[in-house]
Order: sequence, then structure tokens, then C-alpha cells
Amino acid sequence: MAGAWETVIGLETHVQLRTLSKMFCGCSAAFGAPPNSNVCPVCLGLPGALPVPNEQALKLAVRAALGLGCTVHPRSVFARKNYFYPDLPKGYQISQFEQPLATAGSLSYLSPDRGIATAAIQRLHVEEDAGKSLHDRFPKQTAIDLNRCGVPLIEIVTGPDFRSPQEARAYLLTLKQVLEYAGASDCDMEKGSLRVDANVSVRRAGETALGTKTEVKNINSFAYVEKALTVERDRQIALLEGGGKVEQQTMLYDAKTNSVRPQRSKEESHDYRYFPDPDLPPLVLHPDFIEEQRAALPELPATKRERFTAQYALGVDEAAVLTADRAVADYYEAVVHAGAEPKAAANWVRTEVLADAKDHREALRVPASSLAQIISLVKGGTLSHQAAKRVFGEVAERGGEPRNVAEALGLVQVADTGMVAGWVSEVLGTYVTEVSRYKSGETRLLQFFVGQVMKASRGKADPKLAQRVLEEKLAS
Amino acid sequence: MSDPSEALASAKAAADRIVKVKRLNACLTPIKELRKSLVAQASAAHPSGVLYGMPVAVKDNICTLEFTTSCGSKILEGYRSPYDATAVAKLKAAGALIAGKTNCDEFGMGSSTEHSAYGRSLHPFDKTRVPGGSSGGSAALVAAGSVPAALGSETGGSVRQPASLCGVVGIKPTYGRVSRYGLVAFGSSLDQIGVLGRSVHDAARVLSVISGRDPKDATCEDRDSLRLPNVPESLQGFVIGVPKEYLPQDLDPAVRRACDRAIRLLRELGAAVREVSLPHTAYAVATYYIIAPAEASSNLARYDGARYGPRFNGSEDVRALYRATRGEGFGPEVRRRVLVGTYVLSSGYYDAYYRKAQQMRALIAQDFRNVFDRGVDLLFTPTTPTPAFKAGEKLNDPVAMYLSDIFTVTANLAGLPAISLPIGRIKGLPIGGQLIGQAFLDDEMLEAAYALERAVPPGEEA
Amino acid sequence: MSVTHDEVRRIARLAELDVSDDALPLLAEQMSRILEYVAQINAVAASEGVKPFVPGPDAVRFRPDEVKPWPLAFGPAELAPAFRDGFFLVPKLGQFDQAEG
Repeated sequence: MAGAWETVIGLETHVQLRTLSKMFCGCSAAFGAPPNSNVCPVCLGLPGALPVPNEQALKLAVRAALGLGCTVHPRSVFARKNYFYPDLPKGYQISQFEQPLATAGSLSYLSPDRGIATAAIQRLHVEEDAGKSLHDRFPKQTAIDLNRCGVPLIEIVTGPDFRSPQEARAYLLTLKQVLEYAGASDCDMEKGSLRVDANVSVRRAGETALGTKTEVKNINSFAYVEKALTVERDRQIALLEGGGKVEQQTMLYDAKTNSVRPQRSKEESHDYRYFPDPDLPPLVLHPDFIEEQRAALPELPATKRERFTAQYALGVDEAAVLTADRAVADYYEAVVHAGAEPKAAANWVRTEVLADAKDHREALRVPASSLAQIISLVKGGTLSHQAAKRVFGEVAERGGEPRNVAEALGLVQVADTGMVAGWVSEVLGTYVTEVSRYKSGETRLLQFFVGQVMKASRGKADPKLAQRVLEEKLAS
Repeated sequence: MSDPSEALASAKAAADRIVKVKRLNACLTPIKELRKSLVAQASAAHPSGVLYGMPVAVKDNICTLEFTTSCGSKILEGYRSPYDATAVAKLKAAGALIAGKTNCDEFGMGSSTEHSAYGRSLHPFDKTRVPGGSSGGSAALVAAGSVPAALGSETGGSVRQPASLCGVVGIKPTYGRVSRYGLVAFGSSLDQIGVLGRSVHDAARVLSVISGRDPKDATCEDRDSLRLPNVPESLQGFVIGVPKEYLPQDLDPAVRRACDRAIRLLRELGAAVREVSLPHTAYAVATYYIIAPAEASSNLARYDGARYGPRFNGSEDVRALYRATRGEGFGPEVRRRVLVGTYVLSSGYYDAYYRKAQQMRALIAQDFRNVFDRGVDLLFTPTTPTPAFKAGEKLNDPVAMYLSDIFTVTANLAGLPAISLPIGRIKGLPIGGQLIGQAFLDDEMLEAAYALERAVPPGEEA
Repeated sequence: MSVTHDEVRRIARLAELDVSDDALPLLAEQMSRILEYVAQINAVAASEGVKPFVPGPDAVRFRPDEVKPWPLAFGPAELAPAFRDGFFLVPKLGQFDQAEG
């Protein structure tokens, strides 16, 4: 019955910024250290400790904001968000409230339902992360690790602009791409450097007022984004169709059972008692600071994709695959720059290079110049495509210059007309019946002959040359 | 002092003097631990430091690696800080000896040191009276002659008020002059570490050492440490304003007499003295008692028994742990202020209370600027409306206690430097007079203080 | 302006502070007295539209992005009332199983 209803979704994304140290102290912000080893008086919330903001975090936040088309405010204010929780040592989180760093941005993405859609970015602000609470490690106790406490975050809030769980997911993947391009974050949901909370409501198609929304939390991957939002949408629709009312509450997604349940809470909704943090004077950014970040922004994915289709005569899908990841896009251009023909380079990168990268932790193991060489060896007939793939694999594993590797492996094609003619004669002499059939009109047997020549030469014959010689000989 | 044997002698003598006044309950550090530490510190101290061998006591709400930092509270009973406050580190780098932690009102909240979880401190001259607060322990110790100087802290007058009641010098620097890193926060936009000393010179020397830039405190100004002025021959050229709101009709006549005498002396020293007005003074205490509790309610949220400090019963779940620890670990004054602070920040009340108070604060600061812009260099006022009051006298009505801050809170609200020095006696009890200076012109204020100190007969009845 | 017992209870919950039933009446009375006293600032109309004043630097200074933590003479293990395998321990959350805020 989803057709009678319209889904309205807004997203709040928390993204960890790629800095060496934490937002307000000099502890390492690295992931994966032994528990409570990256701590100091500030992030432990010890009596007397004070915050001092990380310049690089602000630079990356500004860069992200500019990449999302936001207005960056030269003056913004840190505010305290007061609440009690075991992994929040100070009893408040330093964030921004009435005067955030940036507002009024937007991000276009490809909606599966309605083509190019645009989400409004209402605000982007800077804050610090909390620590981690582990509830299942010890019986009856919660274990707390404060390594993550104080890591710099940006919070990105959209308007209620998505009309389906699929759109929400598409937006998030696009957001991830932009933030990766900007160098602001690695946006890894598994590592927790990108976290999403969603606001979901439904209304009858055609209505303009918004329905009561719920907040959905505990979504831990891009795939679960779609599942969780679908489950919650369906729950709300079923509730309303049954004559019930949607209660404003927080729902927790459970990936194991693919369901949502209300976060049990007898308390009233939170009163965070926001006020400007008296330990931090206003955040004032010089116009030069902001412009420096604008200049540091690389060509963003959408622009690069358009340029690739125009400059390299590639299809939209091809260009999309090549620009999905900034490192891959740069690699592709390096291959073309080294002399490879753009279309061939695109094919190779999309197939062999990405497949190899997938198995080797996203490493682009074959240097761009080497790939360009391989491509030209194929073009020049020195290597068959099959042989070239073997050379690629060898260079990826053990390095080396492609030409030398090909020779060492004995893969260099024989382009000696005399030798090829010898094999051709051998084959035509063996398959006399097929020769007659060919001459009677079954011209498709040509490929059979080519195959046999390749067999006779143990793959070393240049198939194009073999075909030419065959055609000549068969014509006579 | 320049060699270790002198420093050692100084250390031992300080320990002896502190033991002698045990009954004041001013020093919270057990004497054995104190003596042992002082001796060890004496051998490790930097001989070339300007404060080499000088014993300086430190208020219990300032973090030290030595001894405990319990802020006069049960909730931090036995807490040992794993780092030194910047001010303490600077004292040590100058060769000073940390001579124990002094008693105070819990977390700095109070004006009598009666709100300490470790018992009240006694006035050094009259054990039935209070030494003032919240830095009462530091003031008492200095007044008793045990140490030449001690660190205290100010949020609403907690260095100057006890200085006035005990008959010693108390300095509050310009906000941002001294790093707050390691000062346990109460009202962050008001807090400053200050110094109590037996003379302007002793207090100023210590203030100079602890002042100056600190990358660990974003509210500390990027300036050199305070330079010490010379003792001036006269106050010729100084224009001193006396705000009429600070000499109200109903001021204690004896306090009035003491102030009048001090003003006469300032004139005799060559200063031009004129009446001025700070029209919003009447609202200062109310403004303060919105802003300070609000900031405190947030600053004290970290005390919950989870990561450090003692735990109080209530282990069924973590909320129970928080509520029991905070319910029992905080004393009644702190509980009151945390609740009032939570209230004035809460949804529906924020605009009427907190936002309004911040605007009020701007008007109060503007009052000072207006006066200083009209050629006035410094202001002179009484420090406290009365000399030391009796213990228990103001405990029933919290607002009565708050009103003893009436002359001191304005300097904290406006972030200005201020100093209290003894200007006489009232029935044998000391009383102080206050100079308020312009932002970052602490040295000018000290110059005038030096001159007044030399001229005033502090032991004389007013 | 009076603070009711219910309001005191609500504020105490927000502040995570136990207030016993017999302490409630006096506390409510004292809080009322204090709030009544401080509310007098509302009489001053002149502060409408005035920019708030906070002393200290006009703009925050930054810290370079370096891994150089401020000194800690000893760590969590020595500070914590309950600590195991590198983790701080607190009694488990009863009513709440997910992060707030």
C-alpha cells in the first residue's frame, strides 16, 4: 500500500574529520588503539582541564562546508550541549547551536525515483565525539573506552528532502564521495567515521503538512540505511492504516532481526540547556582562511564526471565508475597522460585495475606508466589481450617493466609473417574439409582457423596477423 | 635565598609555622605528608628562580601533583590530580615550594569557608568568626604568618573578601591574565586564580610569576607575564574615582570611616579623587547569581563517581550511581547552586534569566568603561560591607550570604583587576579597601596599592 | 515567584542529583527565594538588544594538529574507582540501552 503514502526522510550525519589529533586536545585521533590509551586531562574530563581547538579540524570542516555549497560564517560560536551519559566525561558535549559554522548548502544526487534530486543542507557544524560504551563485555557492567572521546566531528543536517529509503542511501553515498574528494574524512561506516540518524515520517500522497516523525538510530552500514528506513516507514504506514497514531520517539534499528524498536525511556525528552561555552572565545575565521580552503578543494565528483565524458569521450556510466573514487580518477588520468588511448585505458581501469584493487585493499598496484605501456603493447600487436592480462598480473605482484616481463614470460607475440605463414599452412593442411566448407561460403569458420593457429603456435601468434594471413591464403 | 640549605631551612620553618596554627583548620594537608614533601621539594627546587625557597600555600581547588585536590568537597575526597595547574608549574619553575592545600568553600561556592566538607576554617584573630571565603584557608594562613603568600581563586570576590576580613592583601588579576588550566572550574567566565599575601609586594611577586600566556587555556590572553611596577613616590597624576553606589547611606559607619581615611590619604599622596557613578551596581549581585550558578551547573556535571573520585552507594544502575554520588557528595550550597543553575538554563527560562543576565553584565561592564573613558585611572571602594561576621550568622538565608559579595562581584563581571588591602581595624577586626583597575593595567593598580599601603596605618581603629 | 516541589524534582532529575523527600520543602523555599531575588534584573528594560559581554580574547586561538597530549603523570587505571582490562567500569544502564543526544 506504499503507493498511497508519501515517505519523508531527513538525515543527520556525523562525520569524523581526518586529523592527527583530537578536536580540543593533542591526543591521537587514530582508530584502533588499546582502550583508554589516547587520553589526557582534557578528553578525560578531569577537574581543571580546558579545551583548545584544532586548526586542521576547522580547515577540513570549512572545506567540507564549501564542497557542499554552504555559506561559511566568519563568526560562529561553540556551545555546550548538556546531558549525562557514561561515555561523555564532562557531562556535556562541546558543539555548536545558535551560531553554527555553516548553513544553506545543497547536494545533488542521482535519485532512483526521480533522476537528479537536490537535498538542502540546512547546517554543518563542528563538535567533538563521545567515547564508546560497551554493554556486553562484562556482566552487569558497562565498559567505557574514551579513546574516541574528543575526535573532531562535523554534523551535517538535511531538510526533510528524501522521498524514499533508496534516495536516502543514494544521498549518503554521494555525500561520502564528496567528503572523500575534499579530503575531509574517509567516511567509513564500519569504522564509525560516518554515522547516520534519520528522521522519518509519512503522509498521504498530496498532503503538504508533515506527519509526526520518529528518529531512527543505530544504523551501521549503507545497506542497513535502506533496510532500516524501509522497516520504519512500513511500521508507520501499518500503524496509521490500522487507525493508530505515530508517537514521536526514538527507534533503534536491530540489524540481526531487521526490525526497529522504541528506545525505552521513562524520562522526558531531553533539555540540553545549550549555552555558549565560556571556555572558548568566538570562532572567527579570516576571509583568507576560508578562501585557502576553497582553493584546496579539488575538482568535485560531479564536475569531474562531466569533464571525463566530454574530454575522453566516455559514456556517463563509464565516467561514473572512474570518478567514484578520487584516487582511481587520478590514476586513470595518469594512464592517459602517459600516452594510453582514453577508451582503452577506461576499459582496463574499470576491469583489471579495479578487480585487482578490490582484492588488495584498494591498492592500485600497477604504476600508471606501466599500464600505459601494456596498453600500447596490445595496440601495437606485441601482446594479445590475454597475454597482456597475464603481464598486468605479474607486474602487479612482482613489479618490473612490462616489455621485459612479457619477454621473460615468453608472451611476446610472434609477428613474424614467415612463422605465422608456417602455422597457417599447417592448420589449413590439417583441416582440409573445413577449408572446403569455408570456400563454399561458411566464412564464420575463419575464427575456427584463427583458433587453431593460436593453438598450433601455443598462443604466441599475433591473432590479427594470423587472421590476415589466413584470409590471404584462403582467398587464393 | 640562593642555596639548597637555605631552601631546606625555609621548608622546615614553614612546616613548623603551619603546624602551629593547626587549630585554624586552614591547611588540609596532613602535617607529616606536608613536612616530607616540603623537604623533598626544597632539594629539587630551581635555585635561580625568583621565588626560590618561598613557601606558597595553594587553595584546594587548584590542581597540584603534590597532595590531594578535593575542592573542599566530599565528591573529590582523596582525589590526586595527575597534573599540575599551569600556575603551580610556573611557581615550581620559579623555585617556590608548594606549602600544602588550603581549605575553602566547596568548589569555591561561598563567602565564609563554612561550606567546606572538611569543617570550617577559623578567623586567625577570633575563633568565633569566619575568615571569609571561598579562599578562607589561604587568607587565614597568610594572616597567621605561616606563609608569605598563598594562591586563591576568585569568581565573585573569593580572594578579596577573605583578604579584607583577615587583614591581608588579596589580588584578582584581569580576566585572562593568569591561566585557568588546572583551576577547577566553577564559573568559567568569572574564574581567575588570585594571590593572597602579607604585603602588596609579596602578593604581586607571586602574581607576576604565575601570570602570562598559556597555550592550554583558550581564554588566557597572549601576553607576557605581569611586570612589577616600582613603588611610586607619590600618586601625582592619578585620578581616582569613588563610585557613590559603593558608599551607600546604610553602610556600616565604621567601614565608612575607614574608607574616608583611606580616601584622605590618597589625596595626600597627590591623587585627584572624585565621585563617579556606576548606575547598574544594584543589579550586580543578581546578575552574578544567575551567571555563576548556570556555568557551575555545567562545570560540575563531570562529578559523578564514574571515572575518578569516590563512589557513593547506588550501584543498581549508572543513573543511580550518579544521583547518589552527586546527592551525597555535594554539600547543600553546591546542590542549591547546581539546581538554580540548571533551572536558569532550562528550556523556557533561558531567555528570561541567563540571556538577560548576560545582557545585564554588558551594561555593568559598560558602566566601568564609561567612567574610565572620562579620565579616571582607578576606582576606590570598600571591599566588604562589614568586618568578619560570626560563624553561623548567615547560614540560614543564602541571599544574606550572597550580599557580602556586593562590592566585589562587579570586577569579576567586568573582568577587571582588583586588589584589597588592609585600611584599618573595627573593634580589633581588620577591614579592607579596594582598588579596581582598567583591563590589563594591573601594574598601574599595583602602583597605587603600593603607595596606599605605605601610607595607611592598617592596625589603627577606624 | 515560587518553585514548586515538582519543579525541584524535575530539575534534580535533569541535574542527576538525589534530593530526599524531607529536604525538598526547604530546598524549594530557598530556590524560590534565590530566583525571586535574581529575577529583579528583569526590571531593567535598558538591556533589551544589548550584546552580551564576556571577558577574554575576542577570537579563539587554535592549536596545531599535532599528536602532543598535555602531560598526565598517571592514567585511567590509577584514577578509576573501577577498572578492568583497560576499561572504565560503571554499573550497567538500567533504562537506557542506547546513546543519548
